[in-house]
Amino acid sequence: MTRFAGRLAFNLFVWSLILTIIFPLFWMIVTSLKPQFELFRRPPSLLPENPTLEHYWRLLSETPFLHYFLNSTILSIATTTLVVAVATLGAYSLVRFKYRGRDTLALMVLFTYLLPSVVLIIPLYLLMVALGVSNTLFSLVLAYTTFALPYALWLLRSFMAGIPEDLESAALVDGATRLGAFRDVILPQLLPGIISTALFTFILSWNEYLYALVLVNSESARPLTTGVMSMLISAFNIEWSLLMAASVMMSLPLIVIFAFLSSYLTRGFGAGGVKG
Amino acid sequence: MEVIFDQVVKRFGTFTAVHGLDLAIAPGEFVALLGPSGCGKTTTLRMLAGLETLTEGTIRVGPKTVNDLPPGKRDIAMVFQSYALYPHMTVAGNIAYPLKKRGVPAAERAAKVKETAAILQLEPLLDRKPKQLSGGQQQRVALGRALVRDPQIFLLDEPLSNLDAKLRAHMRAELIELHRRLGKTMVYVTHDQLEAMTMAQRIAVMSGGHLQQFDAPETVYNRPANRFVAEFIGTPSMNLLDGMVEMADGPVFKAAGLTVPLGPAAPQGPAALGVRPEHVRLSDDGAPATIRLVEPTGHETIVMLETEGGARLTARMPANLGLAMGTLVAITLDPEGLHLFAADDDGRRIDHHPTPAAP
Repeated sequence: MTRFAGRLAFNLFVWSLILTIIFPLFWMIVTSLKPQFELFRRPPSLLPENPTLEHYWRLLSETPFLHYFLNSTILSIATTTLVVAVATLGAYSLVRFKYRGRDTLALMVLFTYLLPSVVLIIPLYLLMVALGVSNTLFSLVLAYTTFALPYALWLLRSFMAGIPEDLESAALVDGATRLGAFRDVILPQLLPGIISTALFTFILSWNEYLYALVLVNSESARPLTTGVMSMLISAFNIEWSLLMAASVMMSLPLIVIFAFLSSYLTRGFGAGGVKG
Repeated sequence: MEVIFDQVVKRFGTFTAVHGLDLAIAPGEFVALLGPSGCGKTTTLRMLAGLETLTEGTIRVGPKTVNDLPPGKRDIAMVFQSYALYPHMTVAGNIAYPLKKRGVPAAERAAKVKETAAILQLEPLLDRKPKQLSGGQQQRVALGRALVRDPQIFLLDEPLSNLDAKLRAHMRAELIELHRRLGKTMVYVTHDQLEAMTMAQRIAVMSGGHLQQFDAPETVYNRPANRFVAEFIGTPSMNLLDGMVEMADGPVFKAAGLTVPLGPAAPQGPAALGVRPEHVRLSDDGAPATIRLVEPTGHETIVMLETEGGARLTARMPANLGLAMGTLVAITLDPEGLHLFAADDDGRRIDHHPTPAAP
């Protein structure tokens, strides 16, 4: 009997947790579908009585939403590509080559996380200005790389360490060059690690707000996060229904990615947690 | 193809793994590198494979110095202890990989893979992934990957150590047969003296990065070059007694109450006497000894003896003697089986017979 009560309590707890998390998401979708006049009605309706897609239509046709969306896509893909490429090669070096200070180097990389990003933003901004790339998507790619790379490096390092060195030796003896062995044998083994690292980096860059806010203030280079904010939230008014529609569309790519690749993501966090 | 190691040295930082190794392997020979772990045998093999660089010295394969050749250009194949099969490729893909890297056209590749698979009875497994194979099957795939491109030299790094005892005995026989049929040079690293003794034509015994002895298995067993080889080869290992060689009617070895006559060439002074367990005999007029432990193994019995002077000896006896612990017996040492070693750190063999008796 007590076991049953225990299970019941546990289930109640878990479900209340799930509902707490789900409700804002649910409310976001519902709000985005309600016509304007239904929005502030009291008592509020739980489901829209006259569901409409007009907000989505307005967002796509009357605002630069699609432009921001494109920016975010380019930004996230570029960051992910750069981070994965550098982190893969870096992890290979940290695991396979023996040189002085190898472990110290790996630890130092993590030091970037000891500083709050607010502290880094101003120097980073000045750096971008000095480089002449301020106010461009490229500056954000560089900025995101600085904070995504250390974690990606550690994640891939633990994946790389799990690949037996004999595999590479065998490929070398079988006639492959070092690069050939890397491509034929290491990369396929590393694929789960690469996918989880890429997902992690993509999500990070897609959702980033603070750097985007400070480093970019030209309309043409704004990503979704800051773009939607500046477009729909002014000092006088918040366009709730448009904001919710934008939020739904912003979340869609992540939800789709997550649905297909979530097992890789959790595997990646596992690898990082146990060995890193 | 012959393989020559000329004064090969390998250092990892301050640690020297291989000290000035000289080794000449004849064409088509089956050589075992034998030694305890950390003796430098795997490092030696990896240097020959090109997976480790040499600190000093040269390695020649045939007429060619291979020091600076990458592994893929040395015309060698290697079987790893872990098999190192590529997990994402099928069995066929694994076997075909070295051919692919050498630019063999696809049709010829497929034919060769089929041929090799037939030799190793791998045909039904060609489409499987390594994970779906048993240990013995993986071992055969690793062997197939080495065989497929017909290299001049085969390197085998403890290839049988992950197999169970029965399969290991079977694979030993298969490897001997394979070597006989191919006639290619094979270098086989192992810490298992049984594998080395049964398979190799010559054994290179290594310890602490030094080559201790390089001889045929019988010679290594019957005329060990030094104390290390004497103790390392043979199970149970050779009895070694520290004592003095003195002059009586001829030279005699004295230690712990035992007096053992030696051959006429034995020099006086401190020395160590070695005698294998099978050369310790029961006899009525021998030195008294107490049986401390009896270990029946089936077809024979291993007996631990303690002499009156406190020397402990292991003896190999027939199984049917009915020996009991605590019994007092008398033992003699077979004069044919006496090995004399110098008392210094090297413990080199001293021939105490003017013309060594060929046992």
